Amino acid sequence: MTTVLAAKGLNKRFDDLVAVDGVSFEIAEGETFGLLGPNGAGKTTSISMVAGLLEPDSGTVHVGGTAIRTSSTDGRAEIGLVPQELAIYPDLTGAENLKFFGRLYDMAGDELERRVGEVLEVIGLSDRKDDLTREYSGGMQRRLNIGIGLLHRPRLLILDEPTVGVDPQSRNSILESVENLSGQGIAVLYTTHYMEEAERLCDRVAIIDEGVIQAEGTRRELVSLVGEKDRIRVTMTGDVEEVARIASELPNVHEASVSDSGVDVLAAEASTLLPELLSRVSAAGANVTGVAVFEPNLEAVFLHLTGKALRD
Amino acid sequence: MSKMIAIAASNVRRMLRERSNIFFVFIFPIALILLIGAQFGGDFAPGVGVFQADDDPLAVAITDEIQSEDSLAVSIFESSDELTASVERGTVQAGVIIPPGASGQAEAGTQVVVEFLARPDGAGPQLQSIVSAAVARVMTPVAAAQFGAEKTDSPFDQALTVARSQTAVAPGLDVVTTAVGDSLFPSTLGRFDLGAAQQLVLFTFLTALAGSAALILSRKLGLSRRMLSTPTSIGTIVSGEGAGRWAVAMLQGIYIAVVTYLLFRVDWGDPLGALLILMTFSAVGAGAGMLMGAVFSNDQQAGGIGVVVSLGLAALGGCMVPIELFSPTMTRVAHLTPHAWALDGFAELVRREGTVADILPELGVLTVYAALLLVLAGWRLRRVLTRP
Repeated sequence: MTTVLAAKGLNKRFDDLVAVDGVSFEIAEGETFGLLGPNGAGKTTSISMVAGLLEPDSGTVHVGGTAIRTSSTDGRAEIGLVPQELAIYPDLTGAENLKFFGRLYDMAGDELERRVGEVLEVIGLSDRKDDLTREYSGGMQRRLNIGIGLLHRPRLLILDEPTVGVDPQSRNSILESVENLSGQGIAVLYTTHYMEEAERLCDRVAIIDEGVIQAEGTRRELVSLVGEKDRIRVTMTGDVEEVARIASELPNVHEASVSDSGVDVLAAEASTLLPELLSRVSAAGANVTGVAVFEPNLEAVFLHLTGKALRD
Repeated sequence: MSKMIAIAASNVRRMLRERSNIFFVFIFPIALILLIGAQFGGDFAPGVGVFQADDDPLAVAITDEIQSEDSLAVSIFESSDELTASVERGTVQAGVIIPPGASGQAEAGTQVVVEFLARPDGAGPQLQSIVSAAVARVMTPVAAAQFGAEKTDSPFDQALTVARSQTAVAPGLDVVTTAVGDSLFPSTLGRFDLGAAQQLVLFTFLTALAGSAALILSRKLGLSRRMLSTPTSIGTIVSGEGAGRWAVAMLQGIYIAVVTYLLFRVDWGDPLGALLILMTFSAVGAGAGMLMGAVFSNDQQAGGIGVVVSLGLAALGGCMVPIELFSPTMTRVAHLTPHAWALDGFAELVRREGTVADILPELGVLTVYAALLLVLAGWRLRRVLTRP
């Protein structure tokens, strides 16, 4: 498949803060690529550089073979950006918002009118196109936010946490819309801190934390990093070193390590191990304050790679 | 160019969509001009009340003479107390009380005392001279008749008839007044003309500054960054935002000019000159509005400060009290504001029937103001939009 986006060695520093450190990834035509990480991980800084809004300290971005720079508008027509915030005019109608941005993408006349009508159909706002967007529900505004990004038929669509603050019904509608995009050959760069969204939508996922891509691959490839084991996190007070040693000697335990507030245990079957594990912990004199079981998903992968939960 | 126009047009459309603007942009300025024109402008004639104690012929003659003064609005009172109270309350600016039996007193050679009433803080001295002159025109033949009757032992009525006939043909003494220089507020100036120019300048700048809130909102909502992600250069975006502010200010100015012309027949002088002043002054307002929009990050804060700055500059620049009434020092201070230069330009066009050539200095100063503000605002906005 043709590579649409190639980001290589992106670095960005704000004073003493290293926001992005050596980020590289590629996205092919029709592929949905996820950047999964908690708030402040470097997702928005990365996509700002990809979209040409922020100049990297070093590294390059090419979209459709064209270098993306803040000093040039070359290649921008290939990109559709759906920012995290609702970047729509509240005092213009839905159709007026689409036409306004269409003109900024050099669209005009019948082509613009036709395309605005098509996008309004796709995002389900045809019957509300002449209403001011401040009268829209939050979900409708989100859909329009995405519609503006799709208007000019970009080869690369960048969606920056598009479901933040959206009700479950609208969220599902947005996710369905994104799923349909790959069928149209659009390369999608999707940032989120919702593991479920990344698992559902993305062909490949890069886990990013503290500005660094910790791992990248398909869901299967990433889950294999934790050996497809369950992770049991036991939070406790007491001698955690001793508990970790005891846990590591239990059958079917792959690994037991000390975490911030207790012990993390990797095991093949958490449900069968858990009674024995808790019994041994109590016998060791530790006071258990909480138990959490993580099945092998991207959340667990993130935990394995960074030592913290995705929403920490 | 089409993208710049699209950005500017969206600004104008958004301004027109804001419901509060229907009042503040379209109704309030015209209402204010109407109010100011009604209060201070027009064919004002000071009111003078007259009380005649009786229908004595000499009293009637004095009253008629005062009433013949075109510059006075004369009203007749039924009692001296009522007249005194009216002067005290300011219902009339001055009063004249003519005593009873004036003719008999004159015939007997007794001095006729006509009482003049005025408040100490009003236009009393000027009105007194007008009333004194009218009374003198009536009393001069009476004094001559008294003198003639006494010296010739002829009847007073006969002497009075002779004196009046001689007064009509005798060469008199006339004081000729020659006006030097131009009148600050010529009599041809309509009652709404001065206020309309002041309010046009005030509201054009105020509306332009109010536009800073829309710019801040665009930044806060991420619209500016979204625009930057399109194939639109930062220069085009900044130009479009500036053109939008300018168009909004122009719309405000043209609206006031056209509506005041249609409703109040306000004279704006040479149309091309007035348009050029409005264009350059709107550019000043656009630059100031864009600078505020780029400097502040809170639209409500910018809106509040914008109103204070607008009204402050308007007061300093002569939009509330005419610059011509300022002290020399304050006049120099006023000309630190673009408002004073715009008003000077309108004064040249309207009061002195100037042309574009006559307002070139004012246009030049306004252009410099506009260029400085737009360059500064563009630089600042560019920085704000491109920083992370």
